[in-house]
Amino acid sequence: MEWFLNIISAALASIFVQNMVLERALGANVLLYASRKKEHVTGFAAAIAYVTTVSAPLVWLFDTLLGGSEYYRVIMPLLYVLTIAVIYILTLVVIWRFFPKLFKSLKRYVHLSVFNCSVIGALFLCSQQGKDIFAYLGYGLGTGIGFLLAAYLLYAASARLNSPLIPAAFRGYPIMIVYVGILSLALYAFTGYSTSAL
Amino acid sequence: MENRINLKDGLIKQNMVFMSGMLIAPVIACATTLAKSLALCFVFSVVSFAAILLCRLIPRTIVYTVRVTLYTVAAAVFYIPAAVLAGLIFGEQVITSAGVYLPILVTNSLILSKTETRFYLEPYGNMVKDVLMFIVGFDLACAVTGILRELLASGRIGGAEVPVLFTVPALETTFGGFLFVGIGAGLFRAVYNRRKKLAEEQAHDDEDSLAEYAEDMGEFLVGKHAKNEKIRIYKAAVGKAKNENELLEMEFLSNRDVLAAFEAIVSDGQEITAPAADQTGTAEDTAESGTDEKEDSENGMVP
Repeated sequence: MEWFLNIISAALASIFVQNMVLERALGANVLLYASRKKEHVTGFAAAIAYVTTVSAPLVWLFDTLLGGSEYYRVIMPLLYVLTIAVIYILTLVVIWRFFPKLFKSLKRYVHLSVFNCSVIGALFLCSQQGKDIFAYLGYGLGTGIGFLLAAYLLYAASARLNSPLIPAAFRGYPIMIVYVGILSLALYAFTGYSTSAL
Repeated sequence: MENRINLKDGLIKQNMVFMSGMLIAPVIACATTLAKSLALCFVFSVVSFAAILLCRLIPRTIVYTVRVTLYTVAAAVFYIPAAVLAGLIFGEQVITSAGVYLPILVTNSLILSKTETRFYLEPYGNMVKDVLMFIVGFDLACAVTGILRELLASGRIGGAEVPVLFTVPALETTFGGFLFVGIGAGLFRAVYNRRKKLAEEQAHDDEDSLAEYAEDMGEFLVGKHAKNEKIRIYKAAVGKAKNENELLEMEFLSNRDVLAAFEAIVSDGQEITAPAADQTGTAEDTAESGTDEKEDSENGMVP
């Protein structure tokens, strides 16, 4: 039962307290792209959740075996990228072989949802904060759900953010970033704060 | 193809931070001080430049699924010396405080997206200049963000105290970074749009001037040419000259030559070329103005 609670608590932390996009800005550019269409929101979130969750045990293995090495810090990106690449290619081969229609719809943007800083960033955070393999899995899963939350919040507001009432120079990318900043500020409350005035 | 791409795009028009938002996570979350910004710039520059130069050589016959994987692996390999050097130059403390934002640069969009959509389309020499422009554009944006956030958040620049009236400590946070970059992008675009509008108005004035001049010259033409056609012929004839005054300043091209050119066009029914010394300038000018609209579309938020 403890392992299950570990997964749940790590997932909740990565959704609300340490949300990959809103709290750490990881994958912010992918978020802007994904929030353009509703199907992209779920598609990107599912791909990110899948890759991070499946990669997490392998990353845990690398960290456990090589974590003590002096140069591990600089070779981590290479190991993580190779992990992601293997999972990406194997998954695409399976989809191409057994679900050709799905492959056709995925191939246009699947690489964007896999090779981006939210996926590799999530794996680094697993490494920094995960205590055991279950925490790694929880962080991996929570990353995808956290991305879904952020992308959906941005998608829901996208019509208003493109309103002609907004100055032309701010319409589109700048106002979306400001809006994500306000969401980030709202989520900041979950981490708690203290002030000397109290 | 060589003339289709403006090599200065990466600096301003498609700036990765303020215009297209291609790489903003490290700037938002990590560029809070000058030291961290410079470390980011260094690692980004080394990794991106080396990886793109290598990846451009990967044949396009390899399927994209594999190619994009190779791009990332190449970037991760180049990250190893870049991180070691960054540690020596900036100190381990700065590198540690930058956290995950240095290694995530191996999956940056300049390598993964622009290599495919832009750099492959250019000759290798031009591509090198183009990549450098994109890198300098990012570095400038990142460094300026780091300096301003450090100054406004803690009243320091590069660790040295600077007298300021007030500080905004929230700019050190991620949400402060989002707001700073968002507002910065809006202001950057506002300035860019203003300058573009002024340039267009100037070009329009020049065009009117050319049209009048062409009309005056029209009496030397046989047959009837539409106004735009006259302008086109005239431009082809005068080469680099963009307006009447500029034309008159060109010592090597007298009005007589222009008139002779007009007559040649009319009699042969063919377009003539400008003097050899001016052909490069003309081609580039034409390419720039001709591709503005198309390249504007590239300013979208491509991850």
